[in-house]
Amino acid sequence: MAAFVTTTSQDSAPVLAVSGDLDISGVDEFLAHADRLLALDADAIEVDLSGVTFIDSSGLGALVRLHNTAADAGRELRLTNVPRPVTRILELTGLTDLFAERPES
Amino acid sequence: MTEPAVRTAAETHGPRQVVRNPRWIGALIAVVGILLTGVASWTTARVDENSEERLLSQQTKQAAAVLSTAILLVEEPLSTALTLQKEGGPAAGSAAFTRFMTSYVGTGKPFVSASLWQRQGDGVVPLATTGVAPALAPSSAAAHAYVLRALDSKTTVTQRVSAGAQSRIAWAKADPKTGLAVYAERAIPADRRSPVDRNSAFASLHYAIYIGPHITDAALSTTDVDPASLPLGGTTARAAIPFGDTVLTLVTTPHAHLGSPLSRWLPLLILVCGLLLTLIATIAGLWLVRGRREAEQDASTITTLYEQVESLYGQQRDLFERLQRALLPHAHPDMPELEFASKYVAGAHGIEIGGDWFSVVALDEHRFAFVVGDVSGRGVDTVAVMAQARFTIRAYLLDGQQPAAALEKCSRQFDIATDGHLTTVIAGIGDVRTGEVTIANAGHPAPLLLNGDVRPVQAPPGRPLGTGPALYRQTTFHLSPGATMFCFTDGLVERRGEDIDVGLGRLATTLLEADGRSVDELVSYAVTTLRNPDASDDIAALAIRRVDVR
Repeated sequence: MAAFVTTTSQDSAPVLAVSGDLDISGVDEFLAHADRLLALDADAIEVDLSGVTFIDSSGLGALVRLHNTAADAGRELRLTNVPRPVTRILELTGLTDLFAERPES
Repeated sequence: MTEPAVRTAAETHGPRQVVRNPRWIGALIAVVGILLTGVASWTTARVDENSEERLLSQQTKQAAAVLSTAILLVEEPLSTALTLQKEGGPAAGSAAFTRFMTSYVGTGKPFVSASLWQRQGDGVVPLATTGVAPALAPSSAAAHAYVLRALDSKTTVTQRVSAGAQSRIAWAKADPKTGLAVYAERAIPADRRSPVDRNSAFASLHYAIYIGPHITDAALSTTDVDPASLPLGGTTARAAIPFGDTVLTLVTTPHAHLGSPLSRWLPLLILVCGLLLTLIATIAGLWLVRGRREAEQDASTITTLYEQVESLYGQQRDLFERLQRALLPHAHPDMPELEFASKYVAGAHGIEIGGDWFSVVALDEHRFAFVVGDVSGRGVDTVAVMAQARFTIRAYLLDGQQPAAALEKCSRQFDIATDGHLTTVIAGIGDVRTGEVTIANAGHPAPLLLNGDVRPVQAPPGRPLGTGPALYRQTTFHLSPGATMFCFTDGLVERRGEDIDVGLGRLATTLLEADGRSVDELVSYAVTTLRNPDASDDIAALAIRRVDVR
């Protein structure tokens, strides 16, 4: 199970921090939180993956959907604090260049 | 398809029923309770009875001691009078005796009559008499015989005598040396009732005192009950008290409980409390048993429902698996230069199946195309996307498209925003004459080449299908005779909490272990070894070996 914390402020992009296993069981909740952040008046949204311990193909799909939705809305999606295992998965699945911000590790 | 193994509640409930009829349990509790109560109550009663007997015996001994003392006190004046007379000598006459005994003879005094006697030859003669006329007249032979008996005896002699309607006790005490003897009579109350004895030793006792060892009406001396009701009944105790040359027999019975009130009431208390507890326990037992039985019935019903649901899930899962297997190839192309082996394993949990697939098809006599893919998610719509991807890619490849072009065309037809899935694919075509294989990669783990060593094909991944239109690069490599290309889905290498590279390394090691075996054995070994029985993800594996014809 994944846990989600959202942080919003006047000066910077809203942040959705994810921790735990981002898998098929947490995808709907993840997208619901993200949609709320997208509804805010901000140029970008940030997804902090520092607490993610596992991501499966459904989790990847959710990131892609969020990216595409944000792009359609003219927003930038930034993945931050990407742990190495997730970085590797992004590399192996050819998704690294999809996300505007290069993953940090 | 198997019929659901639906069992009814009655079937599962019957033989497993542990609790019998609650009424039997209730009866059992009641019987045991009553039995225990009875035994406890009886035991307590016995203890109390023993204690009463012991107390009665003790109190009777005390009473006997009191009586003994009383006798000594009564005899004391006689002894004193005899001593006085003796010390005075024969010349003193009987005045001292008469004077002394006056204090003890009369109404309300110990004796009603007293007389002084002196042995004379073989007989005795009275020297003085005081008080009322004795029952044994001094002139009578009986009196003489009685005094003589006293002179012959070392102790006081006592006897019951009658003066008209009145009973008396006759005492005679003698001093054989001087031949002096004192005779006195003590009245016994006409009704034999005597309040003897306010002494505490008699407080809880009814008693009857008999002169002599025999309990007869004639021998009765005094009692505190109606003489007509004698002898005393119930629990009695008896004591013999030396009395002159005979004994007094004391018979007692308690008129009140001797022990503590608790000791007396305890048996009844235990009986009442025990029965009360038994009643409560019986009711509680019945209630618990009923509750338990209801719970068991509920549990049985729930179990049955679970079994039914499980069975229905099983059917559904079975259906999905059949659907998926129907979509997987049943046979591989018949190409003598190649050996194919493949395996699909569904995830362990739930009824939802995954979207992994593989496919091999001959393009012409020498060329073949192959695809291994993985649709994200689980469930029947995943299988639908999988089917679409599988047939679309195969169609493009059969149509002569290069792998990269086929994937590029596909990338325009899949959109995660509409179908909800990402699809990763390895698509390739190969030529058996040259061993040349060209692949394109849409976000899928790269195939491994096994030929004495193991290494991944350098196939940089493009984006998965579903992310939007994308371009793909092609990689061409050489499959040497005897070499094996091993394609797989992430279910074979991915484990929660573990870096994907660890899983990839494990796969490489496992394949090396099985290098040299047939492709069928290779695939089976890899899947069997690496499959995590608890993993939810499904697994597809495809191995293509170029036969070494040399």
